[in-house]
Amino acid sequence: MDFGLTQPQELLRDSIARFLAQDVGIERVRRVMESESGRDEAIHGQLGDQGITGLLIDMDLGGSELGMQEAAIAAQELGRAAAPVNFHSAYVLAPLLLAGADAGDRRNALLEGIAEGSSLITPILDAPIDDGRIDGGVLYVPDAAWSDAFLLESGGNLHLLDGSVSGIDIEPLETVDDTRRVAEVTFSGIDLGEAESLGGSADSTRRAVHAARIALAADALGAAQKGLHISVEYAKERKQFERIIGSFQAVKHICAEVLAEVDPVQSLLWHTADAWDGGSDEIDHLAPLLKAHATEVASTAVTMTTQVFGGMGFTHECDMHIFYKRAGYDRQMMGNPTALREQAASVMYA
Amino acid sequence: MDTSIGSEYDSLREEVRSFFAANEDTAVPAGPGFGGDASEVRRRVVEWQKRLVDAGYAGREIPQRYGGAGHEPDPLASLVIEEEFQSAGISLGMENQGISMFVPTLLHFGREDQKQELIRPTIRGEMIWCQGYSEPGSGSDLASLRTSAVLDGDEYVINGQKIWTSGAREAEMMFALIRTEADAGKHAGISYIVLPMDTPGIDVRPLMTMTGDASFNEVFFTDVRVPATNVIGRPGQGWEVGTYTLRFERNMLGRSNATESYVAGCVDILRETGLIDSPVYRDRLLKLEGRVQAMKYHQLRLLTDRLKKRDSGAGGLIVKLNNCQLNYDICALAIDAMAERGVLRRGSKHVRDYGNWQRNYMYALGLIIGGGTAQIQKNIIGERGLGLPREPKPAAA
Repeated sequence: MDFGLTQPQELLRDSIARFLAQDVGIERVRRVMESESGRDEAIHGQLGDQGITGLLIDMDLGGSELGMQEAAIAAQELGRAAAPVNFHSAYVLAPLLLAGADAGDRRNALLEGIAEGSSLITPILDAPIDDGRIDGGVLYVPDAAWSDAFLLESGGNLHLLDGSVSGIDIEPLETVDDTRRVAEVTFSGIDLGEAESLGGSADSTRRAVHAARIALAADALGAAQKGLHISVEYAKERKQFERIIGSFQAVKHICAEVLAEVDPVQSLLWHTADAWDGGSDEIDHLAPLLKAHATEVASTAVTMTTQVFGGMGFTHECDMHIFYKRAGYDRQMMGNPTALREQAASVMYA
Repeated sequence: MDTSIGSEYDSLREEVRSFFAANEDTAVPAGPGFGGDASEVRRRVVEWQKRLVDAGYAGREIPQRYGGAGHEPDPLASLVIEEEFQSAGISLGMENQGISMFVPTLLHFGREDQKQELIRPTIRGEMIWCQGYSEPGSGSDLASLRTSAVLDGDEYVINGQKIWTSGAREAEMMFALIRTEADAGKHAGISYIVLPMDTPGIDVRPLMTMTGDASFNEVFFTDVRVPATNVIGRPGQGWEVGTYTLRFERNMLGRSNATESYVAGCVDILRETGLIDSPVYRDRLLKLEGRVQAMKYHQLRLLTDRLKKRDSGAGGLIVKLNNCQLNYDICALAIDAMAERGVLRRGSKHVRDYGNWQRNYMYALGLIIGGGTAQIQKNIIGERGLGLPREPKPAAA
C-alpha cells in the first residue's frame, strides 16, 4: 500500500513546477491575457523541451510513454501557474486519439510533432461529417486560430484536416478566461477526401475523453490550490483594526473550509488517474464524477478565497481573478458538473 | 501508486470470513438496519464485543497481559479487517469513550497496576466509561474548568459539576479533568482522575437531547472521595493527558466506517421510492458521492502517511469536520426521500429502519458540535494546518 505519487512522479511534479515558476511566471501569463490573440507561440516548444507535451506518447516517437497520473501532475501544475495552454486538448485528447488511430507513418509523424512541441493539433469531437462532406459549424474549439491541423472525430473514426485547407472559417470568441482561447470553426462543404482518414475506435475515443476530463479536473484543482495559497499568504500580512486579518475567525474559517474541501480532491484525482492507467471499468463513472466534483469544489474555493482579499480581490491588479476564471473555464468545458453527475449516475445506478 | 495490500494478508481475509461463517448467529449488523429494544440491543452488542476481542479483531493491538490480542500495530491488517467487516455489513465492535479514547491514553500515561485493572473489562464491553471534561462555564475553553479536588490524607475530595456527559448513567467509571492545584496556572493546575460512578456524593441528572434520548447528563460532585492513586499520569499533568485523549476523540468521531453503509442505505431508499430516476435526487446523491469518494481515498492517503511514519499535516485535521457533516447530509437526503414518512420517529408504526435515519440525522448534528465544535475544528485547521495567527487575547477590562 502506497497511495499517492511515486518518487519519480514527485520529481516530475517538482521539475515542472520549477520550470513554470522560472519561465511561465504570472507576468508572462498576464501579457498573453492582455494580447489580442491570446497566443503564446513559444510555450509549445518550451513544453516540448521539458517533455510535458509527450508524456502520453510512446518513447520511440519521442515521448516519455508515461501515463495519466503523470499527465494529471502536469495539468495540475499548469493550472497552478495559469499557464496559457490548452493542455487537455493539445497534449491529452489529441495524442490519445492518435494513439488509437491506425498505425502508420502519418500517425507516427503527427505524434512526433506533438512530442516535440512543434505541431499543435486540435481535436474536434463529434465533428460535422456527413455523406462524404465536412460541413457545418463547431463552437468552442480550443486553439483553433493557430492550430496546424484539426483532428476530426466522428463515430470513433478520425480524419486529419490540415488547417490551411480552404473552406475553413475561424472566428475567435471572447471568453472569460483569457489564458486559454476558443473559436467558432465553420467548415463549408469540404470534401472528406481533403482529409486523411486515420481509422480509430469508439473505445479509444471514450478513454481519451475521460483522460481530457481528468486533465481539466487537475487544472482546476491546481488553480484552486494556488488561489488558497495566495489568499492565506495575504491573510498573514494584511492588517485591519490593528490585527492581522488571518487572526479573525471570519477570515480564518473561510481558509479552513476551503482547505477541507480542496484537499481530499487530490486523493480522488490520484485514484481516478490510477484507475485510468490500470484500465479499470470504474473509470466510466469515476472520470465524470471527478470532473464534476473537482471543478465544483474549485469554483466554490475561488469564490471564497477571492473574498479574503476584500475589495482588492475584485481588481484586475490582484491575481485572484486569474485563478477564478481559470477554474470557470475548467468547469464548463467538456461537460459541466451537473451534466457529468448525470452521466456518472447513469453508469452507477443503471 | 500501489493500492494493493499484498498476498500475505490473504490468509487474514480468509480467517475473517470463516469467523463470520462460524458466528452468523451472534453477529451484529452495521449500518441503519439494526435496532429495536434497547436492553436487547445492548446485550447483543456486548456479547458480540466479547467474541471480537477473543478473536482478536477488537482490542487487536492491546497487549495480551491486559486482555487484548497483542498484535503488533499493522495499519494494513486493520484495513483488511475493516474492509471485510464493511463488505459483510457486520459491526466491528463498540466504539466508545472507554475503548477508543481512555484505553490508548492509559496505555501511554498509566501505571502498570492501573493498566492491569482497567483495560481488560473496558475492551470487553463490561466496563463502560464516561468522560468528565466539559462544565457549564467551560465548553470550547476547556482549561477554564473549575471542578476541584483537595487532598485530604491519601484521598482527593472532589466538588463541582460536569455537563454534556454522554452515557453517565450507564457508565461504571468516569475519567475526568479536575483542578487539583489551586495556585498553579490555568493549564498546570489540572489532573486526570478516574473514579467509579457509584462513589457516594456523585449525582447524575439526565439531560434530554434533541434525539429524544437522555444520552447526556449533568454530573454533580459533593465531597466525593477517591484515592489519590486514581490520578493517571502525575498530578498537574492533566492537561497533557486530557488533550492526548482528545486526539483519539477527533479520530473516533471522524471515522467513516459507517458512511458507506449509510450511502448504500440511502440508495436503497431512492430505488424503492423510484426517486433514483429523478434528476433532482440523482444530482443530490451524486454531489454526496463526490464527497464520499474523495474522503474514502483521502483516508488511504492518511493511511499511507501512517505506514511511512509521515505527518499528514492539515490532511489529518480536516477529517472530523468533513465526515461529521457528510454523515449528516447523507441522512438528510434519505429523510427527504422518505417524504412525510420522514417525520416518524423510533417506535412508530410505519417507521423505516427503526427510526435510525431520523436519530442519526440528529445524532450527527450532535457530533458536528461535540468533540470540539466545527468552529473549533476550523480554528485548528486554520492555525495548525495553514499557519494563520491565533486570535489575540482580549485586552484586560
